[in-house]
Amino acid sequence: MVKRIVLIKDTAATGPDTTRDFYNRFLDGIREHKLLDEIMVVRAADLGYYGHGLVVKIMPNNIVYHNVQNTDIERIIKSTIEKNQILDDLILNEKPKQIKVALRNCGLIDPENINDYIAHDGYKALSNVLLEFTPEKVIDELKKSGLRGRGGAGYPTWMKWKACRASRSNPKYIICNADEGDPGAYMDRSILEGDPYSIIEGMMIAAYAVGASKGYFYIRAEYPLAVQRIDEALTKCREVGLLGENILDSKFSFDIDIRLGAGAFVCGEETALMASIEGKRGTPHPRPPYPTGSGLWGQPTVINNVETLANVPYILCYGGDNFAKIGTNSSKGTKVFAVTGKIKNSGLVEVPMGIPLKEIIYDICGGTISGKDVKAVQTGGPSGGVIPNKNLDVLVDYDNLQKMGSIMGSGGMIVMDTDDCMVDIAKFYLGFCVEESCGKCAPCRIGGFQILQILNRITEGKGKIEDLATLKRIAVSMQKASLCGLGQNAPNPVVSTLNYFEEEYKEHIINKRCRAGKCVALLTYTIIQEKCKKCALCFTNCPVKAISGNRETGYKIDQSLCTKCGKCKEVCKFKAVSKE
Amino acid sequence: MSKFNKDTIIAIHNQETAEQPDYISVGMSACGIAAGAQEVYDVFAKQIKSRNFTIKLRKCGCAGMCYAEPLVEVKANGMPVVTYGRVTEEIAQLILEKHVANSILVNDCVVNIR
Amino acid sequence: MTKVVQAQINGILIRVPEGTTILEAAKQVQIKIPVLCKHPDLPPEASCGICIVRIKGTNKMLRACCTPVENGMEIITHDPEIIEIRRTVIELILSNHPNDCLKCQRNNDCELQRLTADFGIHSESFPTFLRDIPKDYSTNAIDLDPVKCILCGRCVHVCQNQQNVWALSFLERGMQTRISPAGDIQLADSPCVRCGQCAAHCPTGAIVEKDDTGIVWNALQNKEKYCVVQMAPAVRASIGETFGQIGVNYTKKLYALLRRLGFKAVFDTSFGADITIMEEASEFEERLLKQTRPLPLITSCCPSWVDFMEKFHTDMIENFSSCKSPHEIIGVLSKTYYAEKFKIDPSKIFMVSIMPCTSKKYEIQRSSEMFASGFQDIDAVLCTRELGRMIKQAGIDFENLPEEQADSILGEYSGAGVIFGSTGGVMEAALRTAHYLITGRELEHVEFESVRGLERVKETEVEIDGMKIRVAIAHGLSSVEYVLEKIRQAKLNNTEIPYHLVEVMACPGGCVGGGGQPYMVTDELRVKRAKALYSDDKDKEIRFSHQNPYIKRLYEEYLGKPLGEKSERLLHTTYVPQPLYRK
Repeated sequence: MVKRIVLIKDTAATGPDTTRDFYNRFLDGIREHKLLDEIMVVRAADLGYYGHGLVVKIMPNNIVYHNVQNTDIERIIKSTIEKNQILDDLILNEKPKQIKVALRNCGLIDPENINDYIAHDGYKALSNVLLEFTPEKVIDELKKSGLRGRGGAGYPTWMKWKACRASRSNPKYIICNADEGDPGAYMDRSILEGDPYSIIEGMMIAAYAVGASKGYFYIRAEYPLAVQRIDEALTKCREVGLLGENILDSKFSFDIDIRLGAGAFVCGEETALMASIEGKRGTPHPRPPYPTGSGLWGQPTVINNVETLANVPYILCYGGDNFAKIGTNSSKGTKVFAVTGKIKNSGLVEVPMGIPLKEIIYDICGGTISGKDVKAVQTGGPSGGVIPNKNLDVLVDYDNLQKMGSIMGSGGMIVMDTDDCMVDIAKFYLGFCVEESCGKCAPCRIGGFQILQILNRITEGKGKIEDLATLKRIAVSMQKASLCGLGQNAPNPVVSTLNYFEEEYKEHIINKRCRAGKCVALLTYTIIQEKCKKCALCFTNCPVKAISGNRETGYKIDQSLCTKCGKCKEVCKFKAVSKE
Repeated sequence: MSKFNKDTIIAIHNQETAEQPDYISVGMSACGIAAGAQEVYDVFAKQIKSRNFTIKLRKCGCAGMCYAEPLVEVKANGMPVVTYGRVTEEIAQLILEKHVANSILVNDCVVNIR
Repeated sequence: MTKVVQAQINGILIRVPEGTTILEAAKQVQIKIPVLCKHPDLPPEASCGICIVRIKGTNKMLRACCTPVENGMEIITHDPEIIEIRRTVIELILSNHPNDCLKCQRNNDCELQRLTADFGIHSESFPTFLRDIPKDYSTNAIDLDPVKCILCGRCVHVCQNQQNVWALSFLERGMQTRISPAGDIQLADSPCVRCGQCAAHCPTGAIVEKDDTGIVWNALQNKEKYCVVQMAPAVRASIGETFGQIGVNYTKKLYALLRRLGFKAVFDTSFGADITIMEEASEFEERLLKQTRPLPLITSCCPSWVDFMEKFHTDMIENFSSCKSPHEIIGVLSKTYYAEKFKIDPSKIFMVSIMPCTSKKYEIQRSSEMFASGFQDIDAVLCTRELGRMIKQAGIDFENLPEEQADSILGEYSGAGVIFGSTGGVMEAALRTAHYLITGRELEHVEFESVRGLERVKETEVEIDGMKIRVAIAHGLSSVEYVLEKIRQAKLNNTEIPYHLVEVMACPGGCVGGGGQPYMVTDELRVKRAKALYSDDKDKEIRFSHQNPYIKRLYEEYLGKPLGEKSERLLHTTYVPQPLYRK
C-alpha cells in the first residue's frame, strides 16, 4: 500500500534537465531502504516552482525541498520519509503567490452543471442578499470591499451602483461588459467559459442593489463557447426560477439577455457598447450624462466588467471586510492577468493587488521562454504602456502602474525579451488602435494614423530626428483631445516606449539599426568571406537571386535586391552569413 | 424542475458536498479544446464505458495553466488530487490504466498535486 | 425651478442654470471657445476635439461643447498648451482634407478654413493623406464630396434624427470612415429626399447644393432665350445675410437685382402661393362639405415632404392635396398664360426659380406633370446661397439698389402668399380663404397666432361657422411621425379624425430654414426670418389670396375656376409610391 508520493522535478532555468537522473538515484535509495511498496516516486512535468534547482515534493504531507543535491537523497529518505523529520536546510516555505477569487471556481467546477456551482457556495450570496439584505446594505458591503472596476478604469463599483440606485427613472439596466478585446487578454473569456453562474449571480446582486429589472450580456461573437455556456446557464436559471419573477420567493424579478458584439474593439467602451446594444453604430458618446443616470435607451444603467461581477458573489458570501484584507490600500482584492508573450508559462494568474511584478513574471510564470532577459512587460493592452526591466520591482496596483506610465487595464500582460524591438512593439499597438478607431473623433482617427506613418518610417530606416518631437506632439493632442478612452490612451505605448527606450528610437533613426533584429528593413545580411566555404547553398536558395558569384570567387549579396528573408543565413552550415 | 428557493439551494449544496466521488475532470475551455481536450475527453468517455470504470467523467473550465493544456485532473483511490498537463490521447490511456486502475501516477505529466 | 450652479471660468465667477455647457457659459465672460463640429443649431457631436478646456484638479481636458458646468468647477478656456493642442488637432484634420480651398464651393465661407486662418496655420506639419472616395452627384440637388468631409457628424445627425430620413450614415471605421448612404450606394438610389439640411449644416464643402449658376449665366447670355425668374417668399428674408443683414425683407431690391442680372420678367412665387391657396382651400372645402375624398387634407407644396411621403408614408397618398407647389404653378403659367398674353414663344422662355431649397432642383423633373406646359415648366432652380454668389460675381451693390416692383400679372401677391415661407404659413393662408369659401364671409381677425412659432408640432382648433376645424402643423420631418400616427390610429380604430387639415414642411421652421438658405441657421435666425415675412403680410393691404385682384383676373381670363378642367390639368399632380432604395 502506497503511503507517500514523492514528486521530482529539476526547476533550474539553465543546464540540462537532471530530473530523470535524480529520479533514478532516488528510486535506488528507496529500493535500498526497501520502501518500494510504500513510496511512489514520480517525475513531475511541473511543480509550480522555477529557479529552485531540484525540487522534491512529498505528498500528502506537502513538504517541498529545493536545491536538492544527489547527496541529500539518503538523508531525505532516512529523516523525512522514514521518521517524518523535516530537513530545515532544504525546506522551501513559500506561501502560494496566487489567490483565486474571481477565478475561484474556474477549472474546479463543471460550468455546465448548476449543482456543481451551488456545491461551491453558489447562490449562497444571492439568497442571503434577497432575503436578508436591503439594497443599501449590499452597496455598503461593496463599499467595504473596496472593489474597483476590473475593466480598466478602476472606478469604485459601489459608487456606480449607488449613483444608479439614486436615479429615479425606471426601468434600470445591468450590463455585463464581456467585449474583451485587448490583444493577448482573455481573463473574461475564461470566467465566462469556466464559471458562468458566478457572473450571472453577480449581475443579479447588482440588479437587486440598483433596482434593475433587466440585464444584458454583451459578449463578442468571437467567443462562441462563452456565448454557448452563458446561454445554457441562463436557460437553466430560468428553468429553476433563478431568473424570472419573484426569484427565490422574494419580490425581486430579473431576467438577462445576450447581445453579441461584432468585433469592434471600441464597443468595449461603455457608451459605444450601449449604442451597439440599441442597434446603432458603435461609437462613443460624451459623458456626462453617465450611464448610471442616462444609459441604455436613456435609462439608468450599470455596466460592469466580467471579472468585477465574478468578484461580487464572493464579497457578499464571505464579506466585504474579508475581501478588503487582500490587496493594497487603494486597490483591494485580487487581479487576474493573462500573461503572454515570451513567457515560459503563459496563462492566467490571479494575484493579490500589490504583488511585485517580478514575482508574477519569474516566480509564477517561470521567466522568459528563451531564457533571455526580460526587456519589458507591456500591461494594459493597447491602452497601456511598457514597464522596463529595471522597474520590474513595481508593486502591481492601479496607482503604481499609472505612475509608471502604464495602466492596469483589463489585465493583459505581455512579456518581451531582448529579441523584441520597442519601436516595433509601439507600432504594433498603434496599428491595432488605428485599425480599431471608430473614426468619430479627429485626434484619434487622424492622430493615430499619422503616428503610425511616422513609426513605419522609423522602422524602415527613413525616420528623422524631428519625428520624435512630432510623435510627442501628436500623442499629447490625442491624449488630451480624444473623446473616449481608446483614443486618449492609444498613444500610451508610444509615449512609454519613447520614455524608457528613446535611445532605441534614436538608433533606428540615426544609426539605421534595430538592436533586436526585428525591423527587417534595417537588417543587412552579408557573407563573411573568411568563413565562407563557397558551397553555393546560399546562392541556390536565395529566392530573389540577390546572391551572385561562383564556386571559385565566392559569393556576395546584392543589398539592392535582398529582401532580408533570412534564407541564406538559415541554410548556411558554416555560420558565414551575418545579420545585423 | 420545480422552482428553487433558499431551502433547495441549501439542500443541493449539502447533498453535493456530502458526496465525494472519484472523478476525472477535463479542462474544456477554449484554450483546452484548442489544445485537443475534446479528443482526450472522448478517449476517457469511451474507455470508461467500455471498461466499466465507476469513475465520474466531468468537464471543467480553464484553470489558468494554458501553457499546459489539455489539463486533466484526477481524484481516485484515496490519493491526492493530481493534475496532468499536455495530455494526449495516449497519455489519457495511461492515466486510466495506471492511475485509475492501479493507483500509479504517470511519469513526466504531473503539473500539480494537492 | 432650475438649479443654479456656480463655477469659475478663467478665474471669473459665473452662475448659470444647471445643465449649461461650458461652451455656453463661457460667453458670459466674453469667451468664444473655438469649435468646429458643434453647430449652434444642433446638439453636440463631440467629434472634433477642438473645444477642449482644462478643469483644475484633473489632468484630463474636457470638451466644452458637451460638458455641463458643475458646481465649483474651475475652468481654464485657454493657455499655451490648450492652444497648441487645438492647433495640432486642426493640423491633423487638415492633413486629411484636400488642399484646394481656392476651387471649393465653400471658399471664404468654410468653418475649417476660418479656424485655420484664426490659428495662423501657414504650413503643413503633417503629410496629407486623402481618402479615395468617389464624389456623388446623383441627386441633381445635393453634391457630395466625402473626401472633403471632416466627419463632424452634423449631416448624419440632421438626416437621421432631425429629418428621420436615414439616407446618410457613417460607413467603415478609422481612417476609412466616410459619410454615405447605407450599402455604399448613391444618394439618388437611397431614401434621400433632397431637403438639403445636410448641406445647410455642413461646415466644409463636403456637401453642397448642386451649383446651377453656370447654367443660368449661360441662359442669360443666350440671345435665343427669354429669361424670366421668380423668387420664393423665404429668399427675401434671408438674402441679406450674405451681406450681414439679418431679418430684413429685401423684396423690392431683389426685383431690381434680378432685372439687372438680365431677367426679362420678374415674378414672385408668393403669387403662385396665392393660386395654391385658391386650389387647396377649394379642395379642402370640397372634402369637408361634400366628402369627395378623405380628410385630413395634407399640404403638398414641399417637394421633400412629398418625396418623403411617397417613400415612407404611402398610405397617406389619398390625403395629399393634388395641388402643385407654388413655383411649379408660376412655372407652368409663365409658359402658357404669360406666354400667350405677351405673345412670347414658350419654347424660348427660360424660367428660373430662386428658392430657399435644394429639393426644388429635383422637383422640376419629378414627373411628367412638371412638363404640363408642353415644356419643362421650370428650367433651373437656384437656391439663396447661389443667388448670393451671383450678386457678388456681377459686382452689384445690392444694398444700394433702388426698389422696384415685380412684373404684373404673375407678381403681385397677397399677404397670405408671402407667409408661405414660414411654418404655419400655408395653414394660415388656407384658413383665411377656406373661411370665406365655407361661410361666404370674410374673417374679422386674420391672424392665427396659434399656428405660428417654432414648436415642432402645433395642434389647434379653429371655429368656422360653428364647425370646429382641427389642424396640425409639423416641420422637420421627424415631427411628422406623431401627426401621421394619430391619423393612422383613428383610421384603424374607426374613430373621429384627429385633424381636418395638416401642414407639413420638411425643414425646421419651414422654408425660412430651408436647405438652400445661408449657413449657420439657428432657431433664433429662423424666427427673425419668419418675422420679416409676417411683417410683410401685415403691411399688405390685401391679406387674403382670394381677394388678390390679379388672382381673380387670372381665373377670369384663363383658368376658369379652382379645380376646373384647366386648373386640374395645369396646376395639379399625382403621387405614386417610390421605393426607399433603388438598388
